[in-house]
Amino acid sequence: MTDVRLLVQRFDPFKDEEPRLVEYKVPKREGMTVLDAILYARDYVDHSIALRFSCRQASCGSCGMKINGRPRLACYTQVDELAGEKVVAQPMENFAIIRDLVTDLGSFFEKHAEVVPQLVRSDLQEQEHPTSEYVMKPEELTRVLQFTYCIKCGLCTSSCPTVATDSEFPGPQALAQAYRYTADVRDEGGDGRIAILDTPHGIWRCHFAGSCSYVCPKGVDPALGIQLLKRHVMSGHAPRKAGEGSPTAKAGIPAHGPGSGSSSGG
Amino acid sequence: MRESRLMLLQYVTALLAVALVSIHLMMQGVILPYDTAISFNNMLSIYRNAVTAVFLEALLLVVLVHGFNGLRIILYELRQTKPWTTWVDVVTVAAVIGTVAYGTRTVILAAFGVVSA
Amino acid sequence: MAKAAAKNKRGIAGWLNPYHYNAERWAYTFQRVTGVAVLLYVLGHLGDTSFFVGGPTGTGPSASSWAFIGTVFENTFGHTILVLLVLALVFHGVNGIRLVLSEFGLILRKPSAIEFPYKPKALASGQRALIYVGIATAVLSAIWTYLVLFEGMG
Repeated sequence: MTDVRLLVQRFDPFKDEEPRLVEYKVPKREGMTVLDAILYARDYVDHSIALRFSCRQASCGSCGMKINGRPRLACYTQVDELAGEKVVAQPMENFAIIRDLVTDLGSFFEKHAEVVPQLVRSDLQEQEHPTSEYVMKPEELTRVLQFTYCIKCGLCTSSCPTVATDSEFPGPQALAQAYRYTADVRDEGGDGRIAILDTPHGIWRCHFAGSCSYVCPKGVDPALGIQLLKRHVMSGHAPRKAGEGSPTAKAGIPAHGPGSGSSSGG
Repeated sequence: MRESRLMLLQYVTALLAVALVSIHLMMQGVILPYDTAISFNNMLSIYRNAVTAVFLEALLLVVLVHGFNGLRIILYELRQTKPWTTWVDVVTVAAVIGTVAYGTRTVILAAFGVVSA
Repeated sequence: MAKAAAKNKRGIAGWLNPYHYNAERWAYTFQRVTGVAVLLYVLGHLGDTSFFVGGPTGTGPSASSWAFIGTVFENTFGHTILVLLVLALVFHGVNGIRLVLSEFGLILRKPSAIEFPYKPKALASGQRALIYVGIATAVLSAIWTYLVLFEGMG
């Protein structure tokens, strides 16, 4: 059985001057993920390694980190798929380090919240007390479906060159979610969302480097959503939706009766 | 001003610049041999022809607006404090006005000035 | 130092170092670098063309002033700058067209149901091909410029 040379970045901002890489030898087994390797090191070599993880199946988005130079989910990256003889695990860049591999995602979630990532109806009474299900056609769902797969792991934001210097930029995750709701036929809050994004540090600070889509483990493709949103931001208006302007839509009442089509939360 | 207006300006000047710069490069090394193109007499004829002089002025304006607006974008992304943003806005506008004025001076003097040896 | 390390921001290295990332990220870096380089050239070009009218204090077309600036830039140094300029300028222009088309969603594929392993539609071959067209056009243009300036072609 061969060993994996695992290098973990260790850093406690309250005690250390600079981060350092510490090497651990981990017995390799078939199908071993980077998370498995780090957990082995933590359980059997050094209990003080700090990391965040939960589901171990790329569903929770907790174990995002920089692995061999690129943001990845540790649970979704097998040791064997990495080139080179070493596995280097470092915290995701562009997020403040709490300790070792654990980063502070506070501002990340705040920026997500700032783009109003929920369905907004023009009729607040209807929104808070819906009288029936909001329905959408399958093809309308397909238009936004892949963007609903976001698990908020932060890899896209960590990879973004604008986020690297612009702390006010919402980042690819938040912008992709802005598109996800603005393009949703059930949503009527697009114009408000666009006003939030059409600012000096808003959507136009994206220059389509595409790294967000490159590193996304869930196929969300943030760069696609952001580019598709730009033309609507340029026009100042959300995309026209089926039934828009009809009395039922204006009143916030779904055009179809309850249960007459598929619907999705997301 | 909405940022989208400034970005629209960036996209429009980008497409115009591609067209104008292509023509400029053609004029300087493809249509005429390079040495002929940059000779004093040829340059004089370009500046003293209304169409080509206006072309050079348009090139000047489009390229500098695009360039300094691009630089503004880069500087915005560098720092995000209010004084910095204000400074960048002021410098961008001043730079565009100053450089376009200097280039326009060349065009006007070349078109209407007294020729000397 | 610990404070900066704890912030963990990539900073300008995030703009300038695209290593480990996709072709579009490399194009982003080159677009930014070539943009600044071309702007610097344009500023210099405003200065050198002004010598056609005698420089900053001139009053009209001056053959002697133009001949003087020729002695400064019409040499290997000046011509090398022009070859590099054309390389940067043509890439910036062609890649810029790709960006305008992409940023308005005109050459991107539409969102659809996805299958894993997922290949990002935003990074699909259609728009990416334009990056390579940009590189090829820039290199060919630079070669042409070299032949014109150094080998007397054109």
